[in-house]
Amino acid sequence: MPSPLEALQKAFTASVIGDADPGFVAAVEGGGKLTSAEAVEVYRNAYPARMTEALGETFEACWRVLGDEDFLEACRVYARSTPSASYNLSDYGSSFPEYLKERFGGDAPFIGDLGRLEWEFKNIFHAEPHAGLAPPVLSAAVKGNSVLVFGAAAVLLSFDHKVHDLWKRDRDNSALLERADWEGAQHALLYKNEGSAVLSRVLSARDAAALNFLREGRPLGEALAAVEGLDEEAVHDLFSFIAAAGLVTEVR
Amino acid sequence: MKAGADGGDAMVGVGLRSAHFSRLLARPRTPVRWFEAISENYMDSQGRPLEVLKAIRADYPVALHGVSLSIGGVEGPRPGYLERLKRLIAEIDPLVVSDHLCFTGAHASSVHDLLPLPYTEEAIRTVVANVSRVQDFLGRPIALENVSSYLTHKSSEMKEEEFLVAIARRAGCRILLDVNNVYVSAMNHGFKAEEYLDAIPNEFIAQLHLGGYSDMGTFLFDTHSRAPTDPVWELYRRVIRRVPRVPVLIEWDEAIPDWSGLEAEAVKAIRIAREAHAVAS
Repeated sequence: MPSPLEALQKAFTASVIGDADPGFVAAVEGGGKLTSAEAVEVYRNAYPARMTEALGETFEACWRVLGDEDFLEACRVYARSTPSASYNLSDYGSSFPEYLKERFGGDAPFIGDLGRLEWEFKNIFHAEPHAGLAPPVLSAAVKGNSVLVFGAAAVLLSFDHKVHDLWKRDRDNSALLERADWEGAQHALLYKNEGSAVLSRVLSARDAAALNFLREGRPLGEALAAVEGLDEEAVHDLFSFIAAAGLVTEVR
Repeated sequence: MKAGADGGDAMVGVGLRSAHFSRLLARPRTPVRWFEAISENYMDSQGRPLEVLKAIRADYPVALHGVSLSIGGVEGPRPGYLERLKRLIAEIDPLVVSDHLCFTGAHASSVHDLLPLPYTEEAIRTVVANVSRVQDFLGRPIALENVSSYLTHKSSEMKEEEFLVAIARRAGCRILLDVNNVYVSAMNHGFKAEEYLDAIPNEFIAQLHLGGYSDMGTFLFDTHSRAPTDPVWELYRRVIRRVPRVPVLIEWDEAIPDWSGLEAEAVKAIRIAREAHAVAS
C-alpha cells in the first residue's frame, strides 16, 4: 500500500506524461483563475514542450529535413509514449532515430541514419577529449604485430544512406532534399582529439573495415590483411589520417 | 575578466548560459561578481561547456544549481547522480550548491519539471531524510529553492513558508530564496508575498534569485523569459535590507538578452541593494 505522498507523486507524474488522473485532479486546487483541471494542464502542456525542445536541440538536421509541422508533431507523440529515464534532459531521445525511421522512413528513407548521426554527435560533443600520440611517436612505435589503443572520443558509424553530407548542410528544407544525394551506404568517423571541437570524416568501406578491425584490438598486420584490396598507398593514407587525427593513445 | 568592476559590495551574479560564452571568454569589464551554472549541464559533459565553466571559474566564484535532484521524491536521489555531482563539485569548488524543493517525477519517468510537493509532515520527513543523505554524501550543506506553482494540494497541512523553514531547520540545510517565485505563487494562490518573505529567518538564506514571469491572463507563469517586474524588485528591496551580504542572482533562461541587457539587470540589483543598505544603516 503506497503512502499518501508516494500515491500523490505517482498520480502527478502519470498525469503530466499521459492522461490526467481524475482522482489527482480532484485532489488539487488551481492557482490564479485556473480550475484544478486547467492547473494540471499547465504541467501537462509544459511537458511535451520541454521534451520537444530537448529533441530539437539534438536532432537539428532531422528537424530541417522534416519541417516544423512533421518534426514537432513527432516530438509530441514520442514524448507522450517514451518517458525519460535520465535526470539529464540532453540524454533524452536515444530511440528517437528509430522512431523517426518508422514514422517517416517511407518518404525520407535516410531519416533514421541522420538521427543516429546526430545522436552520436551529441555523445562525442560531451565526451572527454583524449591525448593522441603525436605522429612521429606513433610511427616509431608501430610494428607489424602492434595493437593500437584508440581514444574514447571517437565513434565509427556505418549508414545505409549517405547522411554525412546532408547533416553538414545548413540549408532550407526543400533545397536540402532536392539537392541531397543520399542513395547508397556511407561510413563516417566522428572524433575529437585534444580540443573540444567535434570533427568528422567520411571513410571508404575499405578504410572503415580496417579501422574497425584495429579498434576491435586486432594486431595491425592481421587487421590490414583481413581487408580486401587494401594496397600500400591506401594503408599509407589511412595511417596518415589516424596519426594526424590523434586517434591512437597507446601502442601495445 | 575584471571581477567586481563597479559592483561595490553587492554580491550580484548572473546565470551562466551558452549564449554568453564567447562574450565572457573575452574577459569583459563587468560589475557581475559571480556566476551560477546549471549542474546537470556539466555533470555528464567533458566537452566545451565544462571547458568554459572552468575558464570562468578561474576568474569568478561559481555556484552550482541543480534541476534534477528531486529532493522530495519518495525514491530519493537517482543512482549515480550524487557521484557525478560530487565529482563536479570537486572540480569547481562552488560558492553554493543548490537545487529545488520539489520532485521531478520518478526514476523511470522523469518529467524534467519542478513539481510542487504537498506541505505535509510526511513530505517534510521525506525531504529531510533525502537532504541528510545528500549532505552526508557531498560533505557539505546544500540550499533548497522555493518553486513557483500553479496548483496546490488539498492535502497540505501548513503554509509553504512553514514547510520550507521546517525542512531547513530539521535537515540543517539552507534556503535559496527565489523572490520571483514567491511573488508568482503569492499571486497564483492568494497569499501575501511579504508575509512569506518575513517568515524566512535570515540565517537560513544562502542566496537570492530574481527572475521574470509571464502573465498568462489566468495565472502567472514562471518563464524566466524577461526582466524582473517592479513588484519583484520591491520584494527584493525588502529582503536584501535584511541580508546585505547574501549572493543575489539574475536568472534568465528563455529569450535570453545579449550580455549588456543581462548586465543591466545586475546593475539594477546592485543599485537597489546599495539603496536598501543605505536606508538600513
